[in-house]
Amino acid sequence: MEIFQHILNALQFGSFYALIALGYTLVYGVLRLINFAHGDIFMVGAYIAFFVAVSLLGTGGLPLGTGMDPALTLALTVPVTMVLTSVVGVALERTMYRPLRRKGANRLYVVITALMAGLILENGNLALLGASRKRFPDLIEKVVWNLGGVSITNLKVIVIVAAILVFLLLEFIVTKTKIGMAMRGISYDKFAIPLMGIPLDTIIVFTFILGSGMAGLAGILFAMSYPILEPYMGALIGWKAFIAAVVGGIGDIRGAIVGGFLLGFIELGVVAVFPSTLRDLFAFSVLLGILWLRPTGIFGVAQTTKI
Amino acid sequence: MKTLLEVKNLKVRYGNIEALHGVSFDVKEGEIVTLIGANGAGKSTTLMSICRLPPPEAPRVTEGDILFKGQSILNVPPHKIVSDLDMALVPEGRRIFGNLTVEENLKLATYARSDGHENIARDYERVYSLFPRLAERRKQRSESLSGGEQQMLALGRAIMSKCSFLMLDEPSMGLAPLLMYDMFRTLKELNREGLTILLIEQNANLALRFAHRGYVLDTGEIVAHGSSEQLLADPEVKKAYLGG
Repeated sequence: MEIFQHILNALQFGSFYALIALGYTLVYGVLRLINFAHGDIFMVGAYIAFFVAVSLLGTGGLPLGTGMDPALTLALTVPVTMVLTSVVGVALERTMYRPLRRKGANRLYVVITALMAGLILENGNLALLGASRKRFPDLIEKVVWNLGGVSITNLKVIVIVAAILVFLLLEFIVTKTKIGMAMRGISYDKFAIPLMGIPLDTIIVFTFILGSGMAGLAGILFAMSYPILEPYMGALIGWKAFIAAVVGGIGDIRGAIVGGFLLGFIELGVVAVFPSTLRDLFAFSVLLGILWLRPTGIFGVAQTTKI
Repeated sequence: MKTLLEVKNLKVRYGNIEALHGVSFDVKEGEIVTLIGANGAGKSTTLMSICRLPPPEAPRVTEGDILFKGQSILNVPPHKIVSDLDMALVPEGRRIFGNLTVEENLKLATYARSDGHENIARDYERVYSLFPRLAERRKQRSESLSGGEQQMLALGRAIMSKCSFLMLDEPSMGLAPLLMYDMFRTLKELNREGLTILLIEQNANLALRFAHRGYVLDTGEIVAHGSSEQLLADPEVKKAYLGG
C-alpha cells in the first residue's frame, strides 16, 4: 500500500512541475526564448493569491476585508490570481522582451534579460514585503479519505485534476484553434506570420497570458498545499520545471506534462528507497541520462534547417 | 484603369547602404506588371519595402512614398496590409509553415478574414480545384511536399487570405519547367478573373511573356520600362537580360 501513497505524492508533485513546465514550453515554442523569469512568475502568482485571499477573507488586517466565506474566496481567488499573474507575465514581455526583439537583439541577450527579470521579481518582492514569510490562509476544509491504507486528501486530487484539465485545454487550443495554429506557425517561421494577416505581437501576448495564467494557478495550488510563502520559492521549482520541460521535449505541450510527471516520479522514487538528501542528486542524474540518450527530449524533434 | 499601387521616388537603406535610389513605378487594376533585373538589383528590397516584414529583414524607407489606392501605406502595420488592404505576398523561398499540415496552412491564412464562412468555403474549393494535389495531401505535414507543391500551397495561402493584389517573389525559382508553366497558366487565369499581379522575376524572358508591362531594375534604379512587347524588342534589354 505504501507504493500507492508514493504514486499519489509523485502525481501531486509532478502536477506542479507540469503546470510550470507548460509555461516554459509555450513561450519557447513560440519565441524560441527560455523565459527564465517563469519560476518567479509562479512565485508572484502565489503572492497574488495570498493578497487576494486575505483581502477577501478579511484577515491579515487589510482594509479591504469583507469577511467572505472561504469557499467563495477560493472560487474568486483562482480566476483573479490567474488574470493578475497573466498581467505580470505580459508586462515582462512588453517592457523587457519586446523592445529587444524590436531591435533585432540576439536571443542570448533576451535570455539574460529573462534571468535578470526573475531576479528583479525576487528581490523586488523582498524589498517590498520584507524577509518575513507569509502564511497562506486555509481556504478549503481538509478532507482525508483512507482507501486501504492510502490516505488521499481532497487537495491532492484537486491539484492532479487541475494539471490534467489544463493540459487538455492547452492541447485543444494549440492543435485545434486558429490562434493555436498561429502559435505553431510562429515557431516555424515568425516572419511569414504577418503575411497571413496575423498580428505577431497579439499571438505572443496570448502565449504569455496562457503561460503566466497557468503559473498563477500553480501558485495558488502550491500555496494551498504548502502554505509558507517566501520570495525565493519559485527559484528551485522553476529550474526543476524547466528541466522537466527540456527532458519532455521543450516546445511540445505533451512533453511538459510527461516531463513534469516523470520528474515527480523519479524524485519520489528516490525518496522511497534512499535518504531524502539524495533526492535531487539522483533525480537529476536520471534526467541527465535521458537527455544523453535523447538530446531533444522525449517528444522533441531535432530543429529542421530551413531553406 | 485605376492605379492600385504607386511607388514614388522610393529610397531605401539597409543600415548605411542605400539599396534603392529613387524607384518609381505603378500597377493598375487588373494588370500584370513585372519587375525584372539581375540578382541584387533591388527587386526583393522593393517588395519588402511594400510589405515591411518585421526586423531584421525590413529595409528602411528614407524618402519617397508607397501608395495603395491613393493612400500611403508606409505606416500601415505589415499584418494590416494583408488583412485590411487585401494585398498578399508569395515570398521568395515560399515560406510555408512546414510543421503544419496543408489544410492548417490554408486555414491559418483565413485568420483575419471576416467576410463570412461562405466566401471562405468558396475559396477553399477554388484552391483545391486549382491544385488537386493539395486536396490529396491536405492532411500531410507541408514540409513533406515537393518544391512544386509547396509553391502551390504558397499561392493557395495567398488566395485564402483574400487578395485582390498579389505580389510574387521569384515564383519560378527551383521549379521544373513544366511546373513553372503550370504555375504561370494558373496565375494568368486568376488575373483574368480580376486579380492584379506584381511579379518579381530573374527569368526575364518568362516574366515578360507573362506580364502586360515591365520595369527593368538595375542596382537600385529603374533603367527601362514599357509594355512587354517593347521590352522584349529593346536591344539593350535583350542584350542584358534576355541572353542576346
